[in-house]
Amino acid sequence: MLGFSNQTIADLLYWVTRKKWLIAAFAISIFLFYIPSPESLSPEGHRTLIIVVIALILIIGEVIPLPAVAILILILEVVFGIDTPNGVATSFMSDAVFFIMGSLMMAVAIVSQGLDKRLALGIIKLTGNKTWRIVFGFVAISSILSSFIGEHTVAAMMLPVALTLIRNTSDDPKTVHRLSTILLFSIAYGCAMGSIGTPSGGGRNVIMIGYISEFGLGNISYLEWIKYAYPMLLLEIPIAAALLWMTFKPDQRILDSAVRKLKVKVTKAGKMTGNQMMAIGIFILVFLGWVFLSPYLGLGIVALIGVFLYLSFGLIEWHDINRNTNWGVILLFGAAISLGIQMKETGAAEWVATQSINGMSMVIDDLGFMQWFISVFLTGILTNFLSNAATVAVLGPVVLDMGGNPIILGISTSIASAFAYLTIVASPTCMIIHSSGLVKSSDYLKAGWKLFVISIFLLFLISNLYWPYLS
Amino acid sequence: MKFLIAVGSKDYSGPTLELGMRVAKAFNAAVDIVYVGDKISAFSTSEVILAQENLANWELDRQGVDVLQWAYEYLVENEYIRMESSEFNTDKLVQTDDDRCEVHLEGRMTQEVGLILRNGEIIQQLRDEVKRSGIDVTIIGGSGERRMTHDLVQYIDSSIFVVKNYDRARNYKLLLAVNDAPNTKKALKYGVRVAEAFELDVNAITISNTEEFRSDYLEASNWADKFLRRAGVEHQVNLVHGKFINVMNETAKDDHIIVMGNSTKSPLTKFFTGSKPLNVCENCNCPALIVK
Repeated sequence: MLGFSNQTIADLLYWVTRKKWLIAAFAISIFLFYIPSPESLSPEGHRTLIIVVIALILIIGEVIPLPAVAILILILEVVFGIDTPNGVATSFMSDAVFFIMGSLMMAVAIVSQGLDKRLALGIIKLTGNKTWRIVFGFVAISSILSSFIGEHTVAAMMLPVALTLIRNTSDDPKTVHRLSTILLFSIAYGCAMGSIGTPSGGGRNVIMIGYISEFGLGNISYLEWIKYAYPMLLLEIPIAAALLWMTFKPDQRILDSAVRKLKVKVTKAGKMTGNQMMAIGIFILVFLGWVFLSPYLGLGIVALIGVFLYLSFGLIEWHDINRNTNWGVILLFGAAISLGIQMKETGAAEWVATQSINGMSMVIDDLGFMQWFISVFLTGILTNFLSNAATVAVLGPVVLDMGGNPIILGISTSIASAFAYLTIVASPTCMIIHSSGLVKSSDYLKAGWKLFVISIFLLFLISNLYWPYLS
Repeated sequence: MKFLIAVGSKDYSGPTLELGMRVAKAFNAAVDIVYVGDKISAFSTSEVILAQENLANWELDRQGVDVLQWAYEYLVENEYIRMESSEFNTDKLVQTDDDRCEVHLEGRMTQEVGLILRNGEIIQQLRDEVKRSGIDVTIIGGSGERRMTHDLVQYIDSSIFVVKNYDRARNYKLLLAVNDAPNTKKALKYGVRVAEAFELDVNAITISNTEEFRSDYLEASNWADKFLRRAGVEHQVNLVHGKFINVMNETAKDDHIIVMGNSTKSPLTKFFTGSKPLNVCENCNCPALIVK
């Protein structure tokens, strides 16, 4: 056929079957490009929404590398005449991107210090050997730690602790399936819940703070965010632990021997080294910087100061940071934030917000509740298929253009993006526990949907009964 | 020659590993045994690698290492490799890419044996491994998924041996599907090697849709008869008419190992209308080797 060998045709067929989402994105974008812009939407806004659609399809389908999606977004913003090259470059790099970059680098530095063995000892001292107490301890410690140092850092440190307990209980995965599931989900869900607690818990919090400030809707400091979000985190800890216990009640109610073996293993690590103490000291300095200096320096610059200190004191090599930092994700978040800003500036965000409210007004009468519900529910669903930071980067401008109290809607959206309980791809922590090979994809839904519904309900109560007193 | 044996778990991949290694021994081939773990989302690659590297500090193995350990123990027990130690030393696994690591062992009854750990979509990973290592035969357990079987036969650029419903205790015969397709001669050569190694009787069957057999079918059948006679293999040659897949199913039942050449149809035609080898892999309840 046309002089092509069978091998070439087979390769082409293979490419087509694997890249169907790329082809779909291309076809849909051409279709959308040639349909007339709606009256209330500017041509630039129309073209911005086309980029959003393409980006969402390519990110969810993962048909091309994430950096390629990021680059495509930037190219299309210029080619479609949405902004000048310099304008796109300016919107691409922001304090939120610095923060994401800094926190990913700090994660590598912190994990490599071997502090997880101290952490294990601390948890076991607190919880003892009863399984329910260990589950509660895992959820609580994961939540509280990840509210400050980022969820995947904590998950990477907690995973070996859980696996050591599991393998010391039994080598047969079938015997310990429920125990494995409950311990690993205690980490994943604990980390996800904790990431709402402070701005530094997740890049998406910083993205939302950046949007609120950039769009002139207000300023939220580190401590103010804690006042809004931490009560929800503290309420969720016992709820999540109880829910996991009821869903995956394990056969082993006491982990006496496993705990003893874990203690023996971690005590071999000896006393805390100078480097470990220095690593903790630097993190405390960074935390204080976030609390007291971020209004002047920005959260991102403070995180980068932390990275600078870790590198300068020789606590981590650049080679290790370079190898273990997801540069593709950083590029993508930069591009997604740039796209969010273009959505706001071209009126695309406002148009989507108006259309959503008009559409939902047939079902819900209360405008305030409708705004809240659209923000939270849509974010909650999308975050389970997309990265949570990308979800906030794309939906943030829409939510903030809906009207109502932008602080309440903005923080609600950011918190809802942590409800990544339903799928493996929902967040790096879900992926990390899945990579152990001990949890099945169906397990995510078993407890996840209950926690998802309860979290939305809890957020509704808190945002309506508690937050109005803070404003 | 180089064989690739894909294993999935200790519970289900025993027959695949056993039959695969026996066939590799028959061909005196080098063997790679590969475990393909779940795909890691691009959003989480670095984070998962960081977590897995941290597991090593705790002397804990990542997913899939236990399967390689099991394969290693099988190789030692059956003297396929020169034993350095009865325990699989995970430190010897060398990370060659973000989603691939490997260790090579000295073979005794085969050439070199490699143990490989990969992560990702299985067809993509097998395709990459076949291209990277110049694999001649890929051996994999039977999958219930129609799509998976289709993709294996269609997109993997090596001969495919689908090990379905293999039981060592069963007395197998070799069923050779013979027709005028160019790959039939290569299939016959492979079939003879397998028959000699396993001491199997061979049934060389030529199937026609109609009662009348085309001359090129008859020529192929005669050539097969001569070839098998010269090779000294106990065999019978049969000409049967009927629908190809029905005859193969009825003849093979669950006590034959099927060997046949790959279809020469264009990949596009095969994609839309299927092919005889694809039908065999999907419908027959016994191991089938599709020679490309």
